[in-house]
Amino acid sequence: MSALEFRGVSKRFGSFFANRELSFRVEPGTIHGLIGENGAGKSTAMKALFGIHSIEEGTILIRGKPVRIKNPIQAMKLGIGMVHQHFMLAGPETVLDNIILGREPGFFGINREKALAELENISETYGLQFGKWLSPVDELSVGEQQRVEILKLLYQRSEILILDEPTAVLTPQEVSDLFQNLKRLKDEGKTIILISHKLKEVLAHTDAVTVLRRGECVGTRATSETTEDELAQMMVGRPVSFTYEGERKVFAKAEDARAVLRLDRLSISDAQEPLHKVALELRPAEILGIAGVQGNGQTTLLRFLSNPSRFRSADGEYRFAGANRMGSNPLALRRAGMALVPEDRLAEGLLLHQDLMENYLLGQHVDPRFVSRGMIDRSKVRPRVEAAIRDFDIRPPFVNIWASRLSGGNQQKLVIARALDSNPSVLLIAHPTRGVDVGAIERIHEAIMKERNSGKSILLFSSELDELIDLSDRMLVFFNGSVAAEFQRREFDPWAIGRVMGGGEK
Amino acid sequence: MKKENKPTGYASFRSFLRAVAGATLGLSAGLLICRLVGESPIKVLQVLYQSSFGSGYDFGMTLFYTAPLILTGLAVAIPLKGGLFNIGAEGQLTVGALAAAWAGVLGAGISSPALAVLFATFFAFLAGGLWGLLPGFLKARQGSHEVITTIMLNFIAAGVTAYFTLYTIKDPVSAQAETISIPETFHLKPFAVFNGAPMGWLIFFLILLAVGIHYVLWRSSWGYSLKALGESEVAAETYGISRGSSWMSSMFLAGGVAGLVGLVEVLGNSHRFKIGFSADYGFVGIAVALVARGNILGVLPSAFLFGILQKGSASLDLETDKITRDLSYLIQGLIILGVSAEGLWGWLWKLVRRKNA
Repeated sequence: MSALEFRGVSKRFGSFFANRELSFRVEPGTIHGLIGENGAGKSTAMKALFGIHSIEEGTILIRGKPVRIKNPIQAMKLGIGMVHQHFMLAGPETVLDNIILGREPGFFGINREKALAELENISETYGLQFGKWLSPVDELSVGEQQRVEILKLLYQRSEILILDEPTAVLTPQEVSDLFQNLKRLKDEGKTIILISHKLKEVLAHTDAVTVLRRGECVGTRATSETTEDELAQMMVGRPVSFTYEGERKVFAKAEDARAVLRLDRLSISDAQEPLHKVALELRPAEILGIAGVQGNGQTTLLRFLSNPSRFRSADGEYRFAGANRMGSNPLALRRAGMALVPEDRLAEGLLLHQDLMENYLLGQHVDPRFVSRGMIDRSKVRPRVEAAIRDFDIRPPFVNIWASRLSGGNQQKLVIARALDSNPSVLLIAHPTRGVDVGAIERIHEAIMKERNSGKSILLFSSELDELIDLSDRMLVFFNGSVAAEFQRREFDPWAIGRVMGGGEK
Repeated sequence: MKKENKPTGYASFRSFLRAVAGATLGLSAGLLICRLVGESPIKVLQVLYQSSFGSGYDFGMTLFYTAPLILTGLAVAIPLKGGLFNIGAEGQLTVGALAAAWAGVLGAGISSPALAVLFATFFAFLAGGLWGLLPGFLKARQGSHEVITTIMLNFIAAGVTAYFTLYTIKDPVSAQAETISIPETFHLKPFAVFNGAPMGWLIFFLILLAVGIHYVLWRSSWGYSLKALGESEVAAETYGISRGSSWMSSMFLAGGVAGLVGLVEVLGNSHRFKIGFSADYGFVGIAVALVARGNILGVLPSAFLFGILQKGSASLDLETDKITRDLSYLIQGLIILGVSAEGLWGWLWKLVRRKNA
């Protein structure tokens, strides 16, 4: 008997099938991977299972029994628990209180002693060591917070645990801890569904994999009988290459070339992620990777570099294109030859309810190529947008549709095309392939490499270590707001870099 | 590639259709209520039609009610593009109207009517504009919420204008709370066909103004920045659009436009500033902008609709047995509800589909 079975499940939004006749089984006591590109219907399926979406056709069976799940509370009662990609924890409250929320023992007041005893018991049973029951969640590392989320599901007596992209925010060491823990849960009889787009991970740690594409189930494979190439082909519908295998032009004396962008002793104290005495040099024709666990200052660095005017407390030196840039605004930096692909393309990079042309103008709305006497000549912008749509294969290929109608990958292609439009000398690129379809990743990596090979300087921020290793010429690892170590390309080693990301020595 | 023009064109046309359908729906609901209180809906429509289009005078009066609503509707719709909710049109128009009257007093020596009107226009715009700029500045500088500050400034405007009316340029011979009347050179002449209703070329000027503002918002870098800011503050800031200058400039323009109500009232109608002259134009302007869905050109038909209802409400009260002024406000309310009920259409659509399925 399967722990979970989808039988012909369909979910429609208007005329669009988010899930079409989805059928697959998850065996009890296994780790089951659920993979697919963005928009393939993974999260729709899991939301249907969790009672957030109602399904139109088909049946969901839990332990062999057909169920109608109307809301998350009912799902939890059926033993289904979910760790969302963004943790749902109340930061200032203690670990204990966060875990027992929703199932607090005691009739008058909360019997924390009883809860604590139960938790100790759980953590012993499942081998999830955890001592900080009474610390505020805020003080924990991301990996520990994730463990709190998992403990919470165990405390709620979940039998089926859904983890949505659980490794996106972890260091390689934390990832390895996570999978050890998951394996122990599995050995204790829990069923785990792992939503992921990292094929390597899925291959290494699951028992079976179900692949979705365009809302449909392409197939389920036993992990031991499949390969990365096969899974990728199932996901995308054609063969894909994962690592950038194109040309990496070697420039003479690139190492001692003059820096185009230079930071010295940069400290920012009043940001959420403060920076402390950061120094870096970006040279022509190189990709400088910025690695680090999320929250160690990379966000502040990127925001400062692209908009120093926002940081009044910044102290130190910032030179770019031969001038001091402390206190500059983005438009001035743009004029000097900088372009930006921001961290969060939905919030920072796009106007979702405007068409592609208006989006293409963002940041270029004062560019003299398009503007004279304060008036924008959109007939000059249109051919540029059309060219971008052609060059980057943006779909659907219409200038006049809202940016919200593009998929994540196509939105990102638009943001990158826009950044390249002004022929910048320095590109700040953050998370270029986050949430981007496997098919589009190739194209984006090619575009970045092409810019590098044509002599441009690129500062690449990414939470995907593989991506940084693939593309970068040098890498700086951030920890606690400072540059913890620098790696040359020949020294790139995920474990060594991961150690520094976690606060260790190079 | 021909197909590509379809999506947005279609979307905005659909949005227009929805607004019209919503207004019709609201009106129908209002008529249904009239029916319930025992008044024939046909009669109600007849009275509304007669009172707004029945004669030259009636039509002129309808336009006279419409004109301030165009201005205040614009005053709400412009900052809305940048994400600001301007509740302060009432205060801005009060200050603007006083400034227009004051311009008439100061410019008594101006002999050219064109120059005189220009002089008053400048004053009214500047005064209203500065009154609008203040909350824009406070928002940019201190983050003070514009809804709070503009409401407060409405009260302050009422107090300040009352002070100047009573103590500085009070008409010494009048027993009313009103200023000295402005010289004839400042008067705007009404059209003769309107038979005494105080409306002339001004209405065309207001239509041109709306078209001009629409054009500038759509074509200029300034308008682009404002719209980007309204769509996403974070994205705008990331790409170097200054919140402060966009907010301040849009509020200045909005206040200035509201201030031009002084032209309609002071130069066109009473030829002096009277305390409490505004029939809540500033607040009805919010409804006008909402029914127009924030669309600058949409303000024109929307203001006209409200003009008709405003004009009709008095007639309905007089000419029907059962319908009072309050009931006609209720109809206005239902129309606003009908147009602004964004989710209604999706819900209706679902219902229809389920029935067909």
